[in-house]
Amino acid sequence: MDILLVDDSKTMRGIVQRAIRQAGFRGLSVGEAENGVQGLEKLRTEKPKLVLSDWNMPEMSGIEFLVQVRASENKVPFGFITSEASAAIKQLAMDSGASFLITKPFSPEDVQEALTPILGKS
Amino acid sequence: MVINVSAEMVAQTVEAVFLAMMDLEVSPGETPWAPSHDQLTSAVQLSGLWNGALLFECDRRQACQFTGRFLSMDPPGVVTEDVRDVLGELANMIGGNIKSAVAAGLSLSLPWVMEGSDYGRRLCGTEVQDRLAFDCKDGPFWVTLLAVLSDTQGAIRNSGPCQETGTSL
Repeated sequence: MDILLVDDSKTMRGIVQRAIRQAGFRGLSVGEAENGVQGLEKLRTEKPKLVLSDWNMPEMSGIEFLVQVRASENKVPFGFITSEASAAIKQLAMDSGASFLITKPFSPEDVQEALTPILGKS
Repeated sequence: MVINVSAEMVAQTVEAVFLAMMDLEVSPGETPWAPSHDQLTSAVQLSGLWNGALLFECDRRQACQFTGRFLSMDPPGVVTEDVRDVLGELANMIGGNIKSAVAAGLSLSLPWVMEGSDYGRRLCGTEVQDRLAFDCKDGPFWVTLLAVLSDTQGAIRNSGPCQETGTSL
């Protein structure tokens, strides 16, 4: 698994994967989870290069998921794709160990800019 | 502290979201709001320094059209899980961007979607702050801000008129 994509919306998981392809990152394997609880379960057995997560999710939010990931000493690069775009949210995300936060609505260019430092040039 | 969620802010956000996610230009419209049994509504609640809800309202045909555009596929012929998901995402994106633009101290709920011929969701203690009509290639749709009634001391009234969305107001 190259990327673990965590979002309670099946629609958004599809949109994000499409944007990743449009950004030029083709041939990547993408695993999916519907919330932070499922995301943590996946990370017990998988070692993705990147985790992409929504912020607002049932059962376990994205920020709670990130905190749990870092508490388990997992340093996997982690980014958010979310409609939560305030400065406070961005700061909280970075302080908790995220590498980036892409705000919705977003373009393939936004995805490319965020993912290139982590995955390399597309 | 009282913060203002303005109609202008909502309109700009709607235009930006539609253009970015569906490549669909929208403009402020003047079609009067007319609830029908064919209507779908997605909504998010905002709470904190401003308390209320944002509703996105369109008919089933439009919802399917928007879904086709959003997901780059042929529009489904009926309301599917994809359609509900897309409508929820539209409310989520509009609400989220408004939340970010207004102030810190607001929280956003998960979206919910209402459909069916006889649905009515009662949001007690709210009033319509703004109901904005928009026009696009797929027809008119509406975005409504419902604000929770509060007295001048900032307390929330527990009683008050109930706003029944979708069927009559």
